[in-house]
Amino acid sequence: MDDVLVSARGLEVHFPVRAKGVGRRTAGVLRAVDGVDLDIRRGETLGLVGESGCGKSTLGNALLRLVPPTGGTVTFDGIDVTSLDRRRMRQLRRRAGMVFQDPFASLDPRRTVAQTVSEPLEVHGLHGGRRERAQRVGELLELVGLDPAVAGRYPHEFSGGQRQRVGIARALAGEPDFLVCDEAIASLDVSVQAQVLNLLRRLQRRLGLTLLFISHDLSAVRHISDRIAVMYLGRIVEIGPASAVGAEPQMPYTQALLSAVPVPHPALERSRRRIVLGGDVPSPANVPSGCRFRTRCPYVFEPCPDVDPALQPVGAAPDHVAACHLHGVVGTPVRHDEGVDVGS
Amino acid sequence: MTLLEVEDLRVRLRTPRGPAAVVNGLSYSVGEGETVAVVGESGSGKSVSVLALLGLLPARSATVTGRALLHGEDLLTMPPERLRQVRGPGIGMVFQDPMTSLNPVLTIGRQLVEGIRAHGEVSKADARRRAAELLGEVGLPDPRGTLDRYPHELSGGMRQRVVIAIALSNSPSLLIADEATTALDVTVQAQIIDLVERLQADHGTGVVWITHDLGVVAGIADRVLVMYGGRCVEDGTVDDVLEHPAHPYTRGLLGALPDLAAPAVDGEVPDLTTVPGVPPAPTDLPPGCVFWPRCPVRSDPRCETQQPPLAVVAASTGVLPHRAATWCAEEAPRG
Repeated sequence: MDDVLVSARGLEVHFPVRAKGVGRRTAGVLRAVDGVDLDIRRGETLGLVGESGCGKSTLGNALLRLVPPTGGTVTFDGIDVTSLDRRRMRQLRRRAGMVFQDPFASLDPRRTVAQTVSEPLEVHGLHGGRRERAQRVGELLELVGLDPAVAGRYPHEFSGGQRQRVGIARALAGEPDFLVCDEAIASLDVSVQAQVLNLLRRLQRRLGLTLLFISHDLSAVRHISDRIAVMYLGRIVEIGPASAVGAEPQMPYTQALLSAVPVPHPALERSRRRIVLGGDVPSPANVPSGCRFRTRCPYVFEPCPDVDPALQPVGAAPDHVAACHLHGVVGTPVRHDEGVDVGS
Repeated sequence: MTLLEVEDLRVRLRTPRGPAAVVNGLSYSVGEGETVAVVGESGSGKSVSVLALLGLLPARSATVTGRALLHGEDLLTMPPERLRQVRGPGIGMVFQDPMTSLNPVLTIGRQLVEGIRAHGEVSKADARRRAAELLGEVGLPDPRGTLDRYPHELSGGMRQRVVIAIALSNSPSLLIADEATTALDVTVQAQIIDLVERLQADHGTGVVWITHDLGVVAGIADRVLVMYGGRCVEDGTVDDVLEHPAHPYTRGLLGALPDLAAPAVDGEVPDLTTVPGVPPAPTDLPPGCVFWPRCPVRSDPRCETQQPPLAVVAASTGVLPHRAATWCAEEAPRG
């Protein structure tokens, strides 16, 4: 399909877990991303939500090959990213930008805003010549709502929201098609968050960007996204149009997650029924067999430990899918002869 | 019954950038079993205002004035030994980051037992028994086993439960939670809020809940106090303040919030209304209304040069007056 910009098939990022003590032998495998199929369409904003430790940041990094996938493939505009050599990968990186969580840690305190924003231009040999680059930096700063006159200043002279704007300007310097925002508003105050959310939306429309918006904040994701993907223990467990996932979540995990988000309306909030999940997220080094959500699911029944559920159509909206046996038992049976759990 | 009565609390800090007026005349009270939410963004003075109550600000650089009566005794003037006696059984405190409030090299058990034995003649064995009870009460699985574990062996949600258990170990009449659930996932946040509500119902604890999350406030608070630039700019019952905000700042804050309950119109989610600019630095407060530099209304010429006092704005629905420090209140319900 040519309306898909970024595509993952069976994507896995496994990290070896070292045993304590001498020898440091490998004691197990941490399945940060464990078999993700995902298509990000050209020009859409895809929201990726999940609790901390679910693998959403690792997935974002793996799509840009910032961490090497241990299995599966990623294609970017039809090009297989997983097999590119360094030089070709670098060329491709220009087309993908990344905005990080902490605007205090992601900017070098010893470099001016102009130096930070023009670095991608130098790396990729764009806008040769000092004057052209300075002009381009000015344009980029204007694009993100900063006065071009601030180019000579250092990060400590800016507030958190302004720094995040600098981070966005840097990410846009190479004129990317694809922008990954990893918890880009998490460390900002509410009133400043709104400024950055509006800016991202405006930029996305104006530049025709494809946006992967990774966040634990469901309200913000619901606000900015066209589609929402929900991740749990290294897997995407539900994905669909933002309105459908937001209003009629089909997977019990998504339902619990949404019900736990407090809304700022006292009467509504007091009368809402929260689904309080028991326990903690299991460790990605010890993933439950079958459905990975079964240890916390209020609706668990016979097939859950034995069949690893596949994503299947659910609900009324087209292309709304969820991995849950409540909608019919579809998936890969667990092979019990190979120990506790076996991936697909 | 009133537990805590704060009157005209002011905090000045000496900073490298000059004197900072961090809290500028804050007054509120907390009753038994009542939850008061203090809302504000970073730099609004909400955390410093409670650190001041507990005597936790560095004496060399902080000047605290006003009164803070706990059961009629002024926390701000009592000698340090007395304050230490009062803190455990009087006030429990839960901070934002459970990793920094726990000592990483001591077991959970030692940290709990220390708190219990500091405020009463309790044998080690009894204190340990009480500690296990507390861990059970805050919903930790295997309380006895957890006593012998170290903080790094627990997840964030479990650690925050331990911190709450420590705060509750001397059955305080007042619990202060400073962004206690901000670092946690929403599902864990829901568990912690349920826990605090249950404990409050059982023991009649008064709660001061400091947060920037208006959704959390809507669920737990009886009363809300909105802070900006070290002042209370609006207070009242939670329904009055969140449903009929009067101060332009409160209205801006609510408009800036992406709202899960207010979805798309014709498939299109409208832009968020933003509050332009950033909050003022406490070293450089504006001469008039603290919100004036960012205010979209500015309908009164006095705003630029005078700070409007907290005044009753509208007929309130509850038993409490709804007050706002503004001359620009519009009595329009929140759209």
